[in-house]
Parts: sequence; C-alpha cells; structure tokens
Amino acid sequence: MNLNTSGLIIDLIQYFFIAFTFSAILSYLILAIISIFENRHYMKKNSFVNYKDILSSTISPSISIIAPAYNETLNIVENVRSLLSNHYVNYDVIIVNDGSKDDSLEKLIKAYDLVKIDYVINNQIPTKPLREGVFKSTNPAFEKLIVVDKENGGKADALNTGLNISPNKYVACIDVDCLLLEESLLKMIKPFLETTDSKVIAAGGVIRIANSCIIKDGKLLDVNLPTNMLVRGQILEYLRAFLLGRMAWSKLNGLLVISGAFGLFDKKIAIEVGGYDTKTVGEDMEIIVRMRRHMEEQKIKYKVAYIPDPLCWTEAPDNYKIFISQRNRWTRGTIETLKKHKKIGFNPKYKSLGIISYPYWLIYERLAPIIEVTGVLYFIFLIINNAVKWDYAFAFLVLAYLFTVLFSIITIITEELTYHQYKKKGIGLQLITTAFLEPFINHPFILYANIKGNFDYYFNKDIKWGEMVRKGMNKASD
Amino acid sequence: MVNLFYYIVEYFKYSPKIIQLLWASSVVFTLIIIGLSIYLNHIRIRLRAKERIKAVYQKKYEADLIEYLYSGNGVDEISKEQQIIIDHLSNCAKSSLKRKIIISTLLKLKDEISGEIADAIQKLYCQTGLVNYASYKLKSKKWDVIAKGIKELAQFEIKDALNDVIEHIDHPKREVRKEIQMYLVKLFRFEGLEFLNILTNQLSEWDQIQLLEILQKFENQHIPDITKWLESSNNSVVSFSLKLAKIYNQYEAKDHIINLLNHSSQEIRIESINVLSHFGDIDSLIILKSDFNQRSIEEQVIIFKMMEDINEVSDIPFLLEHINNMNFDIKVSVTKILKKLKNSEANDSRFITTDIEYSEKTSLIKAS
Amino acid sequence: MNTSKKIVLAEDNSILALLLKYKLEKEGYTLLMAKDGKEAIELIELHNPEIILTDIMMPFVSGLEVISYVRNKLNLTTPIIVFSSSGQEEMVLNAFNIGATDFMSKPFSPNELIIRIKRLLFNKTIFDKTW
Repeated sequence: MNLNTSGLIIDLIQYFFIAFTFSAILSYLILAIISIFENRHYMKKNSFVNYKDILSSTISPSISIIAPAYNETLNIVENVRSLLSNHYVNYDVIIVNDGSKDDSLEKLIKAYDLVKIDYVINNQIPTKPLREGVFKSTNPAFEKLIVVDKENGGKADALNTGLNISPNKYVACIDVDCLLLEESLLKMIKPFLETTDSKVIAAGGVIRIANSCIIKDGKLLDVNLPTNMLVRGQILEYLRAFLLGRMAWSKLNGLLVISGAFGLFDKKIAIEVGGYDTKTVGEDMEIIVRMRRHMEEQKIKYKVAYIPDPLCWTEAPDNYKIFISQRNRWTRGTIETLKKHKKIGFNPKYKSLGIISYPYWLIYERLAPIIEVTGVLYFIFLIINNAVKWDYAFAFLVLAYLFTVLFSIITIITEELTYHQYKKKGIGLQLITTAFLEPFINHPFILYANIKGNFDYYFNKDIKWGEMVRKGMNKASD
Repeated sequence: MVNLFYYIVEYFKYSPKIIQLLWASSVVFTLIIIGLSIYLNHIRIRLRAKERIKAVYQKKYEADLIEYLYSGNGVDEISKEQQIIIDHLSNCAKSSLKRKIIISTLLKLKDEISGEIADAIQKLYCQTGLVNYASYKLKSKKWDVIAKGIKELAQFEIKDALNDVIEHIDHPKREVRKEIQMYLVKLFRFEGLEFLNILTNQLSEWDQIQLLEILQKFENQHIPDITKWLESSNNSVVSFSLKLAKIYNQYEAKDHIINLLNHSSQEIRIESINVLSHFGDIDSLIILKSDFNQRSIEEQVIIFKMMEDINEVSDIPFLLEHINNMNFDIKVSVTKILKKLKNSEANDSRFITTDIEYSEKTSLIKAS
Repeated sequence: MNTSKKIVLAEDNSILALLLKYKLEKEGYTLLMAKDGKEAIELIELHNPEIILTDIMMPFVSGLEVISYVRNKLNLTTPIIVFSSSGQEEMVLNAFNIGATDFMSKPFSPNELIIRIKRLLFNKTIFDKTW
C-alpha cells in the first residue's frame, strides 16, 4: 500500500510541475500572439502620423520631466543637457538632487548659471524637506531647467517632491541617466490626447539597453551589441518582455507595470492617490497598481497606455553582483506590491485588474521562480531516490529548452520586422547564439536572485536599494 | 553509426505515446528554429541593403531636386534640363522604394519653404506622375492605404482629388476620416471646417491640435462665424471652437461663450472661463463671482487666475473671504491679487488689519 | 578686390541646407555649413563670419545656445538670423532676449531671407562706418 501511494504522490507532483509548465507556455504563447497582432496594428496606425504638427503647437499640454539624482556627478551635466534638448515645446525639466553627498549640485550651478530662488511648494504629498533649495537659470537658453536640492529620502520621495513642484499637467518620471530620444515626449503624450472614450492615466515606454552604444553629446549615434553575455541575455529578456509581453497587456488594458526608467503620468491623479510609496522598493509598479485601483473604485473608464517605440536607452548591469542585487530588488518590489494590494486579487469588483492581471502576476511572476526552484529540488530528490523516469524527464527537458530558444528567436524576428535597432552585420547570428545560451547564463542567476529576494523580504528587513556603479555613458572613443 | 540510428528508431517505436509526442515536438521545434534562423538572416540582409540604397538615392534625389529648381527659364515653361529630370524621376517612381524616397525628399524641402519654390515642388509632383500613384491608393480596400493616399494628396495640396477623397467621408475607420478632415482644412482652410456642422464622432485633442496647426500656418484669414459650432451638441466641436475663439480673438462670440458657462460638461465650462479670461471680459467675471460657490473647485481656481489680471479695489472683501481657502492655488492667487491691489492703494486703511499669515505669504511668494 | 562675405549656416535638414547654400552662393556669399550647434560654434570661432543663420531646434547645442555663446562668450555683434518651425511667441521673445537680430518662422521664403540678409549687412556696414 505504502509503495503505491508514494508512487501516486510522485506522479501527482510530477503532473503538477508539468501542468504548470504547460500553462506557463500557453500563457506566453497567447500573450505573444496578441502582441504580434497589436504590433502590426500599431505600426500601421503610426506609419502616417505626423508628429511635427504638434511639435510647435501652443496648445500642446505641459509636461514636467522629473529626474531624481543621487551621486550622479560623473554624468549629471551631460544628462541634463540631453534632457533640455527634447523636441517638445511645452515642458520643463525638474532635477531633484536627493541629498547627494558629492558635488552634483555645484557642477550643475556652474554649468547652467543657476541661482537660488524663492519658491512656494504646494506640499500635497509629504516629503523630506529641502536642503539647499530651488534653483533656476539666469540664462534664458536654460529656462526650462529647475533644480531642487533636498534631504535624502530615496527615489520615491524625490519623485514626490517633483510632483509637488511641477506646475504642469503631466509628469514624466525618469531615471536621470536615461537617454531620452528627441521625440520621446511627443510620442508618449499622444495616447493622452488621442483617446476620447476613456481617461488615460499613465503611459509607459520601452527601455532599450545602451551598453556599448555610442552616445555622444546626448544623442544616440550608434547601436552596438555588447560583448558581455550577461548583458546580451538581458537584451533578449527585455525584448521578449516589451515586444511580446507588454504589448498584449496594453491591448487587454491589464498593464501592471510601467518602467521606472520612463513613464508619463497624469499629475492630478498621481497626487490624488498620494504619490509614490516611499516604503517600497518597487515604487514604479506599486503606483500603477494603486492608480488603477483608484480608477476602478471611482468607476471611471480608464486606460494605461503603452508606446512600443524605442525612446529610452539606459545602462544595464554588466556584472553578476549588481545584476543579482537589481533582480533581488525587483522581486521584493513585486512581493511588496502584490501584498499591499492583495484585496484586489481574484476580486470581480476590480474587473480585469483583479481577475486577470493580478492573478497572472501572482502566479507567473511572483510564484513561478519559486515553483521552478522547487521543481529542480524535487528533481534532485527523485534522482537521489532513483525514482526518476529518465526517458520522460529527458524528453521533457529538451522540449522545454527548445521552446525557450524558439520563443527568443521569434522575439528577435519581431524586433527585426518592427524597430530593427540592431543593424550591424553579424548581430543576427550573435543574438541567435545568445538565445541558445541565455537559459544557462542568465536564467539560473535570475532564479537565485529571486529566491534571495524572497528570503531577504521575509527575513532581512535592513536591506536597501543598492548602489549602481556609474561608468559614464560617453565611453565613445572619437 | 547505423546501429545508433536503428537504436533510436527502435527506441522511438516502442516508447509510450507521450514520449513519442515529446520527441516529435522537439524535432518540429528544431526544424522551425533552423528555418527561422535562415529567415532572420535573410531579413537582416535585405534590410541592410535597403538602408544602403536609401542613403544613396536620397542624396541623389536631393541633388536632382535642387538642379530642377534652378534650371528653370521662365514661369510656366519647362526647360530642357528640367524635362530630363522630370522624365528621370517618373521612371524611378515605378519602383515603390524609390517612389517613397522621392516623395520624402520633396516633402523634406516643401515643409520648410514657402513661396515660389514650394509651388515649383508641387508642380514637379504632378509632372512626374507621382500624383497618380496617390490617387490610385484611394481605390484600395485597405484602410491604411486609403489614409496614406489622402495624406499625401493633402501634403501636396492636390485640389483635383477632392471628389475622390470625399467619397470616403463615412469610412468606418477613424484614421481615414481624420485624414479627410486634415485634407479639407489644409486645402480649403476655414471653409474646410464645414464638416464640423455634421460631425457626430468626437474630435480628440490630438485631432484638434493638428487642425489648429494647419490653420495657423495661413495668414490673413477670414474667420467664419463660429457661433453655430459653439452651440453644437458635439462637445468636442464646442471645445474646438472655443480654441478657435481664443486663438483668433473672436470677441463677437462673447455672449455665446458666456452661455457656455452653464454647460453640462465641466471641461467646457473651464475652457470657456479661460477664453473669457483671455478676452479680459469684466461682464463674465461679474457673472462668475455671483454664482461662485456653486462652482467646482477646479473652476474656482481658474476664476481666481482670471482675477489676477482683472481686479479692482472693490474686489477686496470677496478676496479676503477666500484668503484661507483650503486650496493652495487659490490661496496663492488671492495673495498675489491682494499684493497687487495693496501696491496701488498704499494708504488704504483696510490693509492695516490684515492677518499675519498674509504678510508672511507675500514675503514668500516669488514663484516662477 | 571684393572679398565675398562669409555666412555660417547651422541647419540639420540636409536638403534645405543644400538649397540655401546654392541660393546664397549664387548671390555671391561664401557659405560655411554646420549640422548642429557645436559645429556652428566651431566655424564661427574659426572664420568670424559676417552673418550667422541658425535653426533653433538642433540636437544637443540648440540655436538659442549658439546665440548666447556668440553674444556673451565671444562678444561679437555679428547679425544673427534665427529660423524655427516653432512659431511660439515665447521662443521668439527668448531668441531676441538672448541677442538674435532677426527671426523667420518656417516655412519661409528663401527670397525673403536674402532680402533680410542684404538689409542686415547694409545696416552693419553703415554702423561700422559711423564708428
């Protein structure tokens, strides 16, 4: 009897893992198919849009770019200059120096002829107080720039200060070291102005990886594929997520995340929900969930838009230590957000947000790595107990691996047929090779970081944001 | 080797169905992967070649265009050199890639230049027969092709195509209808706006901005009577005409706009207040102050902003009522206005008893 | 010997630049071309032109910065004509505040540009002669 039941249990557990894997594969396929159709539709729609008209219009809405900065002295002047040269008429740039311990502020004051001004701030969201104060330029060429120096409070707190200060209707929250292409504001504001049947509360963009790309004077001159395999794997990962994932979620109006590196928000609503949460490390995801929840509760028809054009380029971690720290933080952010808003999970009152988006994130983003690692451990357990049906296991593993590779290659092809950013010869082959290697080079570390993140979340409350070592974007040799 | 092969076949034949399925799928996947990799390589080669060709042709056509523009010898005559270029371009236009490059080159210049050169470019567009390709697009069944055709005809101001364009006016796709609207406005300016009379769909902000930008490029316009649009049942049409009123200073429509102060949509009410504020109209301010408390907070903020420009001493009691208003923007506005009035009425005794908060605020306010 | 007057043109639209170059060279001027603000500043420092023509919205170093640099750092009184597709009042006022001499909004007529250039150069010659 004992042997039979243990055999049955083993079978059941195996079926569970297999079923889970197939459901995951199915969900990726559904999202990919929807994304491909949406991409085609978007490209068609946009092939004859003329952005130039709105470029010079006096009635185009006002946008504030808010960029928190902490110890960014290496690049801050360059980054600000690049932000000031965006091709949009009605915007300003708010740099929030979040209690930096270096000379970022002095550098800015010198480069842009800044002077301190008196400025009454409408503290709709409580933040840490100002330190040196608010600065503006005496040179009319830089009149779009506002620099705020405040006590350190973290990224969310700095963004909230920006929200308080901004006099404009929309805010673009970005990472200060992101390179924004000249037409980014134009393209991102479009959904807010185009949609007539619902209110667009936020728009998210695509983050492209700038490692090894040549950026000179704030302009993207040349796109190269970095040699570092870890970064290459991330490029594939981002492409999969953005091209074949988020595009579908945007169509289903189920987008739960807008990249913290570049997102455009309706300021009034962002303030209405209380701004960013300073107690979470996943503030970019958390505020979107909260804003969506707010709109659902108010029963106002709304939309979170998504622009798939490559508009924002940023550096990705190129060594394992920082990579793991980053993914660790993302994991904790996801856990915190899902936990904070668990009320909406499987709750029909929140419609697709509660019935589709939340459960999907819970199962396939938050729990999946844990299930996967458990599966691996279980497999090892079976090996030890000589209970593995090797022919099944082997066939299954090979198939799963081939599926991952196939999915990545479909992603690469989608990228070629849509935005084709990697034009140079030889990159095609390199990307395909990366597709074969990524499951071994990146994936195990992502799993590890995820488990560590779970561990840190539950048992290690002291952990903070972690430092990103700035290498300097202008590595271009002349 | 052959043994291995037989072993694999035997293994496969005697495996349970599931394993057969798994391995068969793996083989299928592998074949697809190989196929897609070849396809990927093919796409990349083709795209790279396209880029190279584009760069070369772009330069060439730019030079051709400049040569065409400067080898003319009269106003209406076509010189020999020009005819050569026209024939050459007509020939190239047969290839869709080259056609695209030629058109984008023509537009790249035409958008920046006005006057005789712009007209010459337009003529060239017709002489080379490019216009026919665009007209042909109007007959397509695909919406994006139709829309592209209309757009091109609008960019080159081809009035002759009007009848063909109008045929699509009730097209189900919003993008097509929008291109038609822009065509009408671009070619017929304010008369092209007649469609507003019967428009039932919403004009998005994006659409409105684009239409206004097209209109603003024309000088010395005779502005039509916008009052009928102000009374439209389509809120987006009302919103658009309010923008027209503001940009073209349509004081005559003032009374109609005042009526809109009681419109059901808050956005329209706010836009109306903005326009009246721009006009500097005192009558409307009196009306707004009289039913001030029934208005929403957003409207109240705008009303105070209006008062920053239109204010007089007799407003002071009203202002003092709101000096401690909960809303930050209102407080700032009120303080600004009181400060202005104070500077012009330095000896007025009413200011001796202002509260401390007020004087603190005035010393702080030097907002941008 | 009539040394031809030098004009620095900063414009990133290649065909417009070509057209203006052709037209202005036909009128007898020497054209120095720049694709962005930085190149423009380099050319101005090197050649000290009689007139500067610049677009406002250029990558990285904008036209406004070019004007500011010429007026404040190089302390030149060279006439500067600015053109831009942005017809916004603020942009125009800014340009004049920083020191632009004249402003033309796009789309503009190249013939008119030439008339204005001639007028500015004529005024400048008179001005220089009087001092």
